[in-house]
Amino acid sequence: MVSFDIVAEAGEARRGQLRINDRTLETPHLFPVINFYGGGNEGALFGGGVHRTVKEFLTHDNEITGGEDYSDLFRGVMTSISSLADYGIREKKLDWYLGNEIREWDCFSDYNGMIFADSGGYKILKQGGLEGQDFEKDIDQDKALDIQLALGPDIVVNLDHPIHPDDEFEERIEKMEQTAANAARFAERRDEVDGACYLTVHGYYEAMLERSFDLIEDELSEPIPEAFDGIALGSLVPRKDNVEILVEAVSDCKREMQQRGYEDLPLHVLGISGNAMPLLVAVGADTFDSASYLHQAINGKYCVNLFETVPIDEANFDSCECRVCNDDFHRARMRNEMEDLYQKDILGSVAAHNLAVQQRELRKFRQLIAEGDKERVAEYLEEAVKDQKGFRKFAYQLINERINPYFEEIDTTYA
Amino acid sequence: MHKTPQVNEVNEFIEIASDFEDPLEVIREALSNSYDANATQVDINIEQDDEGRNTLVIKDNGHGMDEDDLSSFFDLGNSNKNDAIGYKGHGTKIYYKSDKVRVETVKDGTRIESVMNQPWAKLNNRELPTYSIDTTDVDEPSRTRIEVHGFRAGQGFDPKQLTYNKIEHYIKWKTIGGSTAWYFNDDFHEMEIKVELSPSIDDTQDPIETDNRLKFPAENLDPDGEFVAEEMCKHYPPQELTVTLDDSRELTVEVVGMVGGKEARNKLPTYGKHSAQFGIWLAKDHIKVERYNDAIGADNEFFHFFFIANCQGLELSANREKIRNKSGDVYQAITDELDRFMTKVCQDSWYQNYIERRKLEDKKRSIQSQESTLEERLQRTRDEGGLSPSNPAEVIAALERYSANGAPETVRIADFQMDDEVNAILETDNGFENAALHVKLSDFFEEEAALSHIDRLICWKLGDLDALTKIERSSYLGEPIRFDFQSREVHYGGDTKRTIPILELADSVSS
Repeated sequence: MVSFDIVAEAGEARRGQLRINDRTLETPHLFPVINFYGGGNEGALFGGGVHRTVKEFLTHDNEITGGEDYSDLFRGVMTSISSLADYGIREKKLDWYLGNEIREWDCFSDYNGMIFADSGGYKILKQGGLEGQDFEKDIDQDKALDIQLALGPDIVVNLDHPIHPDDEFEERIEKMEQTAANAARFAERRDEVDGACYLTVHGYYEAMLERSFDLIEDELSEPIPEAFDGIALGSLVPRKDNVEILVEAVSDCKREMQQRGYEDLPLHVLGISGNAMPLLVAVGADTFDSASYLHQAINGKYCVNLFETVPIDEANFDSCECRVCNDDFHRARMRNEMEDLYQKDILGSVAAHNLAVQQRELRKFRQLIAEGDKERVAEYLEEAVKDQKGFRKFAYQLINERINPYFEEIDTTYA
Repeated sequence: MHKTPQVNEVNEFIEIASDFEDPLEVIREALSNSYDANATQVDINIEQDDEGRNTLVIKDNGHGMDEDDLSSFFDLGNSNKNDAIGYKGHGTKIYYKSDKVRVETVKDGTRIESVMNQPWAKLNNRELPTYSIDTTDVDEPSRTRIEVHGFRAGQGFDPKQLTYNKIEHYIKWKTIGGSTAWYFNDDFHEMEIKVELSPSIDDTQDPIETDNRLKFPAENLDPDGEFVAEEMCKHYPPQELTVTLDDSRELTVEVVGMVGGKEARNKLPTYGKHSAQFGIWLAKDHIKVERYNDAIGADNEFFHFFFIANCQGLELSANREKIRNKSGDVYQAITDELDRFMTKVCQDSWYQNYIERRKLEDKKRSIQSQESTLEERLQRTRDEGGLSPSNPAEVIAALERYSANGAPETVRIADFQMDDEVNAILETDNGFENAALHVKLSDFFEEEAALSHIDRLICWKLGDLDALTKIERSSYLGEPIRFDFQSREVHYGGDTKRTIPILELADSVSS
């Protein structure tokens, strides 16, 4: 059973509850990207490095978490089928991985959050398939879905062919047509999915998105809301640093969805998080996924807020409210003050902190939307970007045009 | 042992009086003092006698001065004003650059007459000038009259450089006369200002009569018409922005402004170059000091804006021309807040619409001007019997016609680069040739283009034959040259002579 209920709105921002079988997710929400199988064996919790430490947070390993429960950071996670072969595994191991659903492994049996299994379109199409040490597998829609389903996911999405901003028109159309054909095949197998099916659409502005939706609708034998439970907007990663383009894309996607009567479906933004998130929530995005919290940590970066990072040895834990930074155990780890620490222990705590910063902002936003006060949402956004010179312009534009006009309401008669 | 540093008082007075270079500063000083004295009327007269001596007379109906106030007036660095415009006690020292200062002032029924003779001469003679004080009881309202005889400032005060429009601009841009305080204070202290120049200085108009409110042109949010962007004008009403410093101190920035097109901005009392006047002004005491156009970012052109951001946290140089605490955190915090505010203005829908409309109208204008150019071209073409090139591209068209009309040879353009001296490569019956292609041959030589690589010269007409003959009679780039207009050839060079054929198209194509 899948349902998505809007419980509050403030302007175009909305707070919702995504229910899939017996799991519920409060939106807007960020799905951190997790690599469940890090090339390792079951005893080694499927691999090493920071990926492993993050999973130890996810599964409440007391030795790693210091006894605290961090499961709220992982209420929903994203994993991609392309990550299965990240460590050059042998085919035998791949088959072994796929022999059990994620939650059927002892080490993940306590994990009760939602699992969004991505088809890994971008990576798979770039590499031409799944490639391990002794195998190469061409991946088509059917094979992708087979692997996705083997993971025991709550959400699956069709194999897409992401577009690129530099694509020529013909190339883009070809990719969109392939995505549409995949979506149609995916819809035919809808009944095999015990969870939510998301449909990927691609485009940077209205005309492109209109075409993407049109091509998909032409391929489908039933209306989109009957075949799918959510929309996932893709292809934005190459433009992740251009907030103007991101806002336009999400905003136009919402408009398309409204015009076609799909506004009740949740909108997921693939591969985006960080500083753009609040603005994208403000124009109606419901969920996100990203590995940025992890990549930042791997690069030794500690998030001060959504906009700023500092090298970990310059971090001031006292000014952070998150539980990781307020726990002496993690402070000692992040400062490398404990004996025999591995890099993964230091950076794992940093990754958890980085994720906590992003989840905290979304939690704040959820509360604000629940109050239903557009002005408070505008104030929050304004405060968040006030020192971000380059970013501010777009945020103010959005607030001015979409949430709360700065000057129109002011009386212009003077003393 | 401790010693106290000494001040050379005479030099100090000379220094301070000399700080004020612009003769108009005397007007600013007078208006500030009258405002601080709560005057509601201030009259300034500037006269020049036949021998070129200047007299300034400043009258106001403010609260007048007692002996202490008068001391502050003449003393240095001894202002008894705390939150007034002048507080350093420097301003009135500008009057020391004169032959005589006479002050007549009434306060609380006491009239004081004070005279200082030859202040500037005495200072330059290393002597501190003195002033007399005569006190009488009177039954009249408070007032002050200051006469400054033989006044000189800067490089010598020349009233003839003053004009009413220059003074009016100065009053509204640089003095309390252009105050924006009235936008923010309900109990605003209004002042009527009158400035009169003797007719020998400027007799072109009546004396200036104005108040101390800077007013924007009327709003014109959405005018009707085809070309209206220049008239568009929007006021951005007064807003108080609060700035919190790192040490928790709070400052208030009072911002008010307008955005508008040229016509709207021209209604402001401005004089001279607009580029020096519009933009974002930082102000203290609601008097504009310096512009901070960075607040609108590189995407926007500053001259659409006229905003005044007043903050008492700004500190000014003695002559009020510059902000002196620019390196401090106060200035940084003020400008940061102003950046944010102006970003909002720039994202305002009306402003965006105004900019769009302006672009569209500019485009329309360019189309209209193109239309009129097209009409002119058409007329010229008719007059010339079908073809009259005005640029090299049109000469190429003429060349096409020449080749197509059964000319003795076929000449085609194989390559063309507009700005090169050898701008064309030709394909001819004899193979490829380098050519210079011009509307008039004389243009080519007037530009002193080199002939070294040119195999052929192509033109619509030879042009100014006299100019060519003139070149022939001197030399061309240091070498002899001869134009054979009959056989259409140029003979060029001393020891190694070259002959360059000229193809003149006008006759061949027209016939």
